[in-house]
Amino acid sequence: MAPSHTVRILDGNTFVVSEATGDIEATPTEPTGLFSIDTRFLSKWVLTVNGERLNALSYDDLQYYESRFFLVPGLATHYVDAKLSIIRERAVGGSFRESITILNHDEKAVELEIRMDAGSDFADLFEVKDEILNKKGETYAEVEPDRLRLGYRRGNFRRETIISSSEPARYDRNGFSYTVRLEPNEQWDTNIDVHTQALGPGGRDLRIGLRIHGTERLALQHDLEEWIAKAPKVNSEHGQVAATYQRCMVDLAALRFAPLSLGGQTLPAAGLPWFMTMFGRDSILTCLQTLPFTPDLSATTLRILGALQGTRFDDFREEDPGRILHEMRYGESAAFEEQPHSPYYGSVDATPLFVVLLDEYERWSGDVALVKELEQECRRALRWIDDYADLVGNGYIWYERRNTDNGLENQCWKDSWDSISYADGTLPPFPRATCEVQGYAYDAKMRAARMAREFWGDPAYAEELERDAAELKERFNRDWWVADRGYYALGLDPDGRQCDVLSSNIGHLLWSGIVTDDRAEQVAQHLVGDRLFSGWGVRTLAEGEVRYNPIGYHNGTVWPFDTSFCAWGLRRYGFAEEAATVANGILDAARYFDGRLPEAFGGYPREQTKFPVEYPTACSPQAWSTGAPLLLLRTMLGLEPHEGHLAVEPCLPVGMGRIEVLDIPGRWGRVDAFARGRLDLHKLAD
Amino acid sequence: MADATVRFFEDLDHRGYDPLLAKISGTVRFDLHEGPQSMHWLVRIERGEVQVSREDMEADTVVGTSPALFEDLITGRENGLAALLRGDMTVTGDARLIVQLERIFPGPPHSEGPHRYRKEMR
Repeated sequence: MAPSHTVRILDGNTFVVSEATGDIEATPTEPTGLFSIDTRFLSKWVLTVNGERLNALSYDDLQYYESRFFLVPGLATHYVDAKLSIIRERAVGGSFRESITILNHDEKAVELEIRMDAGSDFADLFEVKDEILNKKGETYAEVEPDRLRLGYRRGNFRRETIISSSEPARYDRNGFSYTVRLEPNEQWDTNIDVHTQALGPGGRDLRIGLRIHGTERLALQHDLEEWIAKAPKVNSEHGQVAATYQRCMVDLAALRFAPLSLGGQTLPAAGLPWFMTMFGRDSILTCLQTLPFTPDLSATTLRILGALQGTRFDDFREEDPGRILHEMRYGESAAFEEQPHSPYYGSVDATPLFVVLLDEYERWSGDVALVKELEQECRRALRWIDDYADLVGNGYIWYERRNTDNGLENQCWKDSWDSISYADGTLPPFPRATCEVQGYAYDAKMRAARMAREFWGDPAYAEELERDAAELKERFNRDWWVADRGYYALGLDPDGRQCDVLSSNIGHLLWSGIVTDDRAEQVAQHLVGDRLFSGWGVRTLAEGEVRYNPIGYHNGTVWPFDTSFCAWGLRRYGFAEEAATVANGILDAARYFDGRLPEAFGGYPREQTKFPVEYPTACSPQAWSTGAPLLLLRTMLGLEPHEGHLAVEPCLPVGMGRIEVLDIPGRWGRVDAFARGRLDLHKLAD
Repeated sequence: MADATVRFFEDLDHRGYDPLLAKISGTVRFDLHEGPQSMHWLVRIERGEVQVSREDMEADTVVGTSPALFEDLITGRENGLAALLRGDMTVTGDARLIVQLERIFPGPPHSEGPHRYRKEMR
């Protein structure tokens, strides 16, 4: 992943990752570049003046789509008496534009040779961390009088980078140059346009007609302003919660993504830089988190995922009728079926969560029309749960990949290879089932029953779903409860043996409602107990388990998104103070990241490190981490749609002071929520 | 002309209604090019109601492939979206229509679907 000193700007799935000077020199360990539709279009972009590399005095991320670099020639040791300054300003918005300004501070005129080395390896996003040696197609460079065309061709697959400059330049196969004479105090400017093309045989770009807004800087700025203006306002007494909220809203705007060929509708992509694409699970969970603030994202996400719902059996893509997709990619590896992402369906949670999101969206928005529009998609999703996901035939959702080359072994959110284990640390055989997915299935059935009764005019189906759900709850509470330790097992193996470790997944069970009332208290106490709660958030795996590792990707780190759903679950069962405790931990942690929570941080106890230790390769911003503070606000304020109005029942810690959320959109129009911190967390801990 | 292609379009026309196309309306013309020859098939969709003809007329979406690739697509040997990304199938006009229509193509012939767990197999 990109080291933290790199600078990233993006618009949809076009983004630039560069060094602090603005230069790009991609290597497997520093995979910088200009990327679009999962392809690298520039792997080299190095500016020199009179043959010298430049040094960064400073850079600014002005907005998510633009940045500015202040540079001087030469190495750090001699720039004190630099007589030149160079300013690079760049923006992405469809294409990539960079303006270069050079100022002469000398008393004498200077002759300058200004050069940009430019090149592209056209790497697929899945290749960028490897040495790129054996591309199956051929790259080419064509020099034209007013532009440089870099290209890659493999059969009919063609990608091109076209570079042009407002000031006349001398183009060659490896870049372009200018010879400039600058009088004292004179300045020189040029605008460089880098256009990316994904061409079919007819020479048409695949992406025509997909812009969600104009690509000019002003249009991007206007779009962002409109997005912010439309969202609720959050004010907080101590400023921090409000600042975190504002950061999240801007990042969410940046993470909007318009999938190819779906008419410019947007949904949240999973994360920058490597996940700027549609993920079923990530997009749905982010929508659930952000519903009170940006409900429109939910409507488009549901429509898009519904439009691409599985219709047939395809073992390579792990597609089944009714299944909701996992990941869509547009690069060379997807095109030539070296990877299955066209789209890939290997997840078992996106399908029940699709139904959950539709119901939750209606409860907030009152958008009955969408519930009716997506009735058949919901019915197909529910049929998938019963007909195709129950591999063992005992009423649970199981997974075992059919694509044994590059399908995912673990098809739940904890998708690393070693995330599901028994308490002795060994890994179970396949098929596997994980607990939170059974919770989602229960919730999906209960919510679909409400929709069937209220909107689909099918009370018989509603009763059937409720009966199924009740049986599932009873069965689940019999088979998954680890009686001697008072929690639910993380997983089951096909012979019914429990993966009996203590994990954060039990928080999702509270959220789904599958936990029986008499067991909720025990589950809640585990979530805020020392083994799971680090002080910052809920560990993915409890301290003391054999595989526990504070920096184990799914075996001990804290994921802000995960904790936010635990908080929602605690609140659902009436544990408002416990919910506030974990919410407070995450919101405190957000301060250390200027409001931009990483994907995950270390599970070290808070007293030990005093600050949250970022997981080394975490993606940032990441959609569901960006959504976490929004869900936590909802949880702490106790925002809940109730019989057509918005109920507010705050429970927040004293330290948070006053918080107000203004203009919350929903079926009630717009309403405000006010809260004051009254809860003494220190007292709770004693 | 390949029998499978004729059969595919005749079946589609006879079916009359396909629930997977219930959300879309529009016309899709398939131009199957072979050398100087082009075969045209026009699919009219009106909220799931489908009519097929051999007309060569303007359409909301125009899809171009070779007859051989098209036969592979409608028999599941090739995947439509991958072919589109590869540039082997071209689309002009409203791409949403072909993304939806592609969903009625069958899966790969050798795909087995979910594997049921049977204890004695282990």
